[in-house]
Amino acid sequence: MNAQRLMALIVAIVISVPLMFPEGHSIGMVNAILIWSIFAIGFDLVFGVAGMLSFGHAAFFGVGAYTLSLLTMRMGWDFLPALGAAGVIGGALALVFSYFAIRVSGLFFALLTLALSQLIYIMAGTKLRMLTGGVDGIAGVPRPDLFGIDFYDDGNYYFFLLALFVLALLISGLIRISPLGQALKAIKSNEVRAEQIGFNVQRLQRSVFTISGIYAGVSGGLLASLIFYVGPQMLHWSTSGDVVIMVLLGGMGTLFGPILGVAIFEIMREWLSTQTSHWYGILGLIFIISTIGMPKGIAGLIQQLWNRIMPGGKS
Amino acid sequence: MSGIAENKSILRCEEIEVSYGAFKAVTNVTYEFKPGFLYGLIGPNGAGKTTLMNALSGRAQLSKGRVFLNDQEITGQSPHARTWAGLGRSFQITQIFAEMTVFENLRLAAQAHRFRLQPFWRPVGKFKEIANDAERVLSEIGLEGFGHVNAGSLSHGDQRALEIGLALLSEPKVLLLDEPLAGVGHDVAEKAVELIRKVSQGRTVLLIEHNMDVVMEISDEIIVMLAGEILASGEAETIKRDPRVRTAYLGEEE
Repeated sequence: MNAQRLMALIVAIVISVPLMFPEGHSIGMVNAILIWSIFAIGFDLVFGVAGMLSFGHAAFFGVGAYTLSLLTMRMGWDFLPALGAAGVIGGALALVFSYFAIRVSGLFFALLTLALSQLIYIMAGTKLRMLTGGVDGIAGVPRPDLFGIDFYDDGNYYFFLLALFVLALLISGLIRISPLGQALKAIKSNEVRAEQIGFNVQRLQRSVFTISGIYAGVSGGLLASLIFYVGPQMLHWSTSGDVVIMVLLGGMGTLFGPILGVAIFEIMREWLSTQTSHWYGILGLIFIISTIGMPKGIAGLIQQLWNRIMPGGKS
Repeated sequence: MSGIAENKSILRCEEIEVSYGAFKAVTNVTYEFKPGFLYGLIGPNGAGKTTLMNALSGRAQLSKGRVFLNDQEITGQSPHARTWAGLGRSFQITQIFAEMTVFENLRLAAQAHRFRLQPFWRPVGKFKEIANDAERVLSEIGLEGFGHVNAGSLSHGDQRALEIGLALLSEPKVLLLDEPLAGVGHDVAEKAVELIRKVSQGRTVLLIEHNMDVVMEISDEIIVMLAGEILASGEAETIKRDPRVRTAYLGEEE
């Protein structure tokens, strides 16, 4: 046992709540947690592993949602190919973004990705209104129709989402320990040195940005099908902000941290929004306080506590 | 390697100029570096030594001139492309992956050299060849037993050695070393000089160094820079006697 495994255990417990309490009301929330986790896991490849702060991921998330909705509802595609297309389009858009944004770094990178994604947001509400339904969005987004299982039942849909979540987690885990993941960590650690030993820094950054765009596109498509709706809010910059908060709260650069961040964020959103209409502001306040108290997020806190309880043990 | 003719240059720069606004850090530098030679690059602070190195390795943009490596023009190429072409370097301010282990540092350099596209479908530990490369260089630079140490906690001298190791893994034909002895103690410096001698076997080295005794001793040829230009070049004895060098540089030191 180590801190990493403890976190894996906590994640396993959180996502298996519907298995333990099949009659409870938790299924809807856990489904949302699974979907946002796919988004956050992919986002952390860019943010936590490669060290690039993007404020434009809402674009890939939202475009994925629109892609799945339009392909299934207007073009008559099956759910799975449409979900694949959501990932492809999300990744392709991320690749396009990266060609503009990777020329600059740090704050300018964050601002450029933000500006580009807001451009998509505004276009979806105006020029592309015929396609996107404007501010009304598109209602009636379907869920998969597979093996004769009724996925409109949240309990059944849970297993579909769980399978995709596990797949997303495994792929991200593999990328992190692969040569690609190591190279990205090297770029984050020392870009000058990384380039000098022969890494094509910009190409590596573009590839991880694209991979995380695929994650965002898929998760956006899944969210649209979970809530049977897609609207421009999913493209809004605040969606990018949400995923940044989730990852920071959970612990950037860790495999399981972002998932815990998503869980806390979703639980607080659910609970606070029933208490007050100012819930988003309060959530922001809690976030600010928690980043002061635990700068490395929940993952960092767990690691710290673990080291205290198990002194001398291997972490 | 054997294909390189004795008198043919491995690295050549033609009338290169690097300017920052109105200030010309390097101006009108033309030089041919011969294969297998160790060049000592000296000159007072601000003479443009590091800028010249930056110009050769692609970190500084040329406002004029051209650079050739092995008769291939590399002007305008990015630093990583020049590394692939056979140009390695170390930096004046140590550039390592401080929070990673020494072994991980070297393995990164090995994978950067081995793979043009970085694999993402297998754990890095499964690629035995890059681990072997890293282990080999680990002993070459005299850091056996330090593989699991965090690079950032190495002594300054060992960090400098690690820097050279990182450069070696790209199997450079030309190695640019920017003050590898700066800030290291006397004992360590001796070890470092040995390392520089060793890595200069069979490759061209351009060494910036302020310790005149060391430079004069180990260099095959000395290049003296002043105010962005090459003032003089030649064998150590010739340089020592050159009156221009004495007034411009050596004289100030004594």
